[in-house]
Amino acid sequence: MTDAVDMRVSIGALELKNPVLTASGTFGYGLEYDDFFDVAVLGGICTKGLSLEPRHGNAPARITETSGGMLNAIGLANVGVEAFCTDKLPKLRERGVTVVPNIFATSVEDFVSLAERLDGEEGVAALELNVSCPNVDHGGLEFGCDPVAAARVTAAVRAATRLPVWVKMSPEAGDLAGVARACESEGADALTAINTIRGLAIDIHSHRGKIANRTGGLSGPALKPIALRMVWELSRAVKIPIIGIGGVSTWQDAVEYLLAGASAVQVGTASFVDPRAAKHILDGLASYCSQRGTTPEQLTGAMI
Amino acid sequence: MGLTWRPDRAYLTGLAVAGTRKPVSTRAMHTLPLAQRDDLGNGYYVLWFDSPAPVAASAGQFTMVRSAEWGVAPLLPRPMSLLSGGSRPSMLIKVVGEGTRRMAEDPMGQPYNLLAPLGHAWTPLPEGHRPVLVAGGVGVAPLVYLAEELSAAPDALAPISLYGGRTTRDLPLAERLEACGELAVTTEDGSRGRAGRVTLLLDELLAKAAGSGDKLAVYTCGPHGMMRAVAERAEAAGVWCRASLEAPMGCGYGVCLGCPVAKRDGSYFYTCVDGPCVDAKQVDWTKEVF
Repeated sequence: MTDAVDMRVSIGALELKNPVLTASGTFGYGLEYDDFFDVAVLGGICTKGLSLEPRHGNAPARITETSGGMLNAIGLANVGVEAFCTDKLPKLRERGVTVVPNIFATSVEDFVSLAERLDGEEGVAALELNVSCPNVDHGGLEFGCDPVAAARVTAAVRAATRLPVWVKMSPEAGDLAGVARACESEGADALTAINTIRGLAIDIHSHRGKIANRTGGLSGPALKPIALRMVWELSRAVKIPIIGIGGVSTWQDAVEYLLAGASAVQVGTASFVDPRAAKHILDGLASYCSQRGTTPEQLTGAMI
Repeated sequence: MGLTWRPDRAYLTGLAVAGTRKPVSTRAMHTLPLAQRDDLGNGYYVLWFDSPAPVAASAGQFTMVRSAEWGVAPLLPRPMSLLSGGSRPSMLIKVVGEGTRRMAEDPMGQPYNLLAPLGHAWTPLPEGHRPVLVAGGVGVAPLVYLAEELSAAPDALAPISLYGGRTTRDLPLAERLEACGELAVTTEDGSRGRAGRVTLLLDELLAKAAGSGDKLAVYTCGPHGMMRAVAERAEAAGVWCRASLEAPMGCGYGVCLGCPVAKRDGSYFYTCVDGPCVDAKQVDWTKEVF
């Protein structure tokens, strides 16, 4: 008896079917799931980070498992924004999927070009700015760790598109609240928090890093308590909605994020363990809300 | 050695012969009880599962496998070549880390999640070619599956299997290859078959075929260095060759992008969706895999 629950949530002016989305870099382009479940039931999907030109990504090894999590340094391998608009987006539109392209660039000008390109497409719900990738040489953390640089990207993209703009926060910003407030004041519609935290794993037999890039972003359940704390802090620092991300593996995790102040969550690494994870989390959350006679919107920030 | 041989071969669901390839089957998550574990010694085991909904796999395809009861560590499912599909999916494992250690110790009946079947199966045998299967250690699994598919096919020539291991204890399932055709083995310490590497057998076979005009089709799976040596020899001899790649994987279905293998054109194969079975000529074997 979950159909009575109003699962809709508002992320600024954008209304989502429900608060369960999938995280960029863990869900491909959303078209890989036809055998598993109907992706259109989700609140939305954030695509693999898109750049102006296609990227091959880093040399292997790119991933390694760690206790309760994993490190990755994929290097933003992606098909490029043109191929996305031509080959992927029409199919997503057909399926009724709520699509949030995640965009990545090494300059403000390229961020603007990406935003302008996607602004012209039907079926894009919002843009997520990746200013926090830890695994590329340029354009990653340097935007996301500096309030001035983050504000500059946000303002430029805001001016270039009618679409809602979400900014994905780096946990490595020394002044996370400062970066968040700078993005808010330049017109960000929401903040996604958090991206991965850089970690390291070493092979004790070869004495080499377990991934070729040496450091890689930590994701998975091991990340959750840190991410949850940051979401809680951010929700008190800004008025715009927070989309919580970091180790969401079960519906209970999703409830925690809402209670900490998130308006929605993104499911990441859990989709590797089970491609149906986001659907299971959505069903579990709906059932929890139904049993408690509450809604996701009422849970947001309800921690006592 | 608790190896169980199933002569009825009811678990074979596909034929690897040109013209008889089945349409690509639907991938699905199967939650199945661990039904049987055969201890092959030296850390090698065959795990069998009971699947009420048959896993419509073909030789060369793989599964992402993890117990439903592992909690959050080990977190990721493990990619394993299928040794059989159908209602008795099975896999060969070698204990190398925490995940495989648990697979070797978990009690019978424990539920496992198998995402299967995944990836590209072996390319069907070209008509009129003699299949040559070159295996190294635990890489034998997709080749045993292939040998059994081939020997169940009415028109295929019986496979010649060349199988190399470090010692006689590193040749699991050799008897299943032997039951399907000819088998020759090498061990590095000379404890079984010829002493040395499996490529010495391949060199002899290629030379013989060059003399007789026999058309060979090489299928190989094993350590990267071995497959590289096999691929280079096949290419030099102008012989058709397919390899089953191995890489660490996060998801197994094309989204994490964690399993690249370098191609000669400068891009990457993603082992899970472009492979694992690929044309050996397209791989840049000089690049490190992981």
